[in-house]
Amino acid sequence: MASIMRPGLLRQGLQSPAASQRMFSTITSSSIRQTSPLVQKLRPALARSAIPKSTRIAAFHATQRQQILPPLPQKIKGTLNDPTPIPDPAPVHGSYHWSFERLVAVGLVPLTLAPFAAGSLNPVMDSILCALLVVHSHIGFESCIIDYIPKPRIPVARSLAMWALRIGTITLGVALYSFETNDVGITEAVTRLWHA
Amino acid sequence: MAATRALARLATTRTALRPAVLSRGFASVTDTHARDPVSKTAEKIVPDPARKPTPESKTSTVKEPEPAKDAKIKSFHIYRWNPDEPTSKPRMQTYTLDLNKTGPMMLDALIRIKNEMDPTLTFRRSCREGICGSCAMNIDGVNTLACLCRIPTDTAKASRIYPLPHMFIVKDLVPDMTLFYKQYRSIKPYLQRDTPPPDGREYRQSKAERKKLDGLYECILCACCSTSCPSYWWNQEEYLGPAVLLQSYRWIADSRDEKKAERQDALNNSMSLYRCHTILNCSRTCPKGLNPALAIAEIKKSMAFT
Repeated sequence: MASIMRPGLLRQGLQSPAASQRMFSTITSSSIRQTSPLVQKLRPALARSAIPKSTRIAAFHATQRQQILPPLPQKIKGTLNDPTPIPDPAPVHGSYHWSFERLVAVGLVPLTLAPFAAGSLNPVMDSILCALLVVHSHIGFESCIIDYIPKPRIPVARSLAMWALRIGTITLGVALYSFETNDVGITEAVTRLWHA
Repeated sequence: MAATRALARLATTRTALRPAVLSRGFASVTDTHARDPVSKTAEKIVPDPARKPTPESKTSTVKEPEPAKDAKIKSFHIYRWNPDEPTSKPRMQTYTLDLNKTGPMMLDALIRIKNEMDPTLTFRRSCREGICGSCAMNIDGVNTLACLCRIPTDTAKASRIYPLPHMFIVKDLVPDMTLFYKQYRSIKPYLQRDTPPPDGREYRQSKAERKKLDGLYECILCACCSTSCPSYWWNQEEYLGPAVLLQSYRWIADSRDEKKAERQDALNNSMSLYRCHTILNCSRTCPKGLNPALAIAEIKKSMAFT
């Protein structure tokens, strides 16, 4: 109910602009601070008495904005003439990772095409395809997480996302393994779906 | 149910006692504002900190001082923000210019506005011929140098000029390039050698070795490519960006440089280089016609399987 009432109350606040500005002085840096100290002392009391209590509370709630990672004020580390810090070399996350990623991606192409061309249902090929698919999707999602969940800013969210991804990847791996061993396997499943 | 409906009718009936604003929360066909989200009402009172500029339709227009008879009037919407009034929103200011009295390039238009109409308009410019890279800005949605960008002669369409996207703004069209230059400094953009030249005179290169630097040394560090890269937008602090990586490759590819391995090691982590996802905005936007994406791909290739 409160949420329904809020906007109306906000508008009531709007009718006297001076009052509304003061009302939000906790959120924005309003013009009050620029006036003399005496006026500063007197004014909040006046403002509070002018606005009904319920309005103040409602408006405070209604103007809280939840943004996804709004930009922070600029922070320059060191002096203007210092270079940005150079990270330690970590080829496991750098060049090795990139090479491995490309190998997997390139390897997936023939593995996906082979069952179409040969029409064979080799369980070894099938299992390699599954394994590479799991690795490929893991690397892809990991890249998204690194891009969009910055570690310096929100380390907890980053580690949560990474663990969720790891759990998801393991679940997918186990699921595909059981599908391969107990059921028909991925190539056969696609074939049947195609002909269904 | 019937009781609820009756209550609702009671609530929506406007009486003299109940102020009209209180009925706003209920769905209604006639009052379209009733369906606005709460945040929209709040926006009118407390503007969003990550806010869009006030559109040009809500600001004044500065007109051409003395329009001639056969004037070709074109309007320019220019992003304005004054650090002296930190609480006021950025806004789009419209200026109309007679193209007959203005030079052919966007920079000419900006200089004419500053000289004749509004001296408070702020932008960087120096060489007016695409060598200094000062006047990089976002014109009609493309990062480019104002001095190399022709004014479209179609007077029906207005041109929109913004500063480089996703940069901190100093004033109007002037972005803060501190981080960009600090990143450039971090790749050590100078020749690093320990051994003296064999004949004791100068470091010589073959024609083929020199040819490798073509398409790299022309970069003027205007930051058009870096600020057009979504990866650089999201991870500016850690990812170096196309311009700096192109410069890095310029020194990696140089046959006279002896610190190739160290230079590659400095890039060999998940953030500095490998946040490039070959989006290729950099190559598309480069006002000098260079190909930063190719340089980044060359770095990746030289580091692969090593």
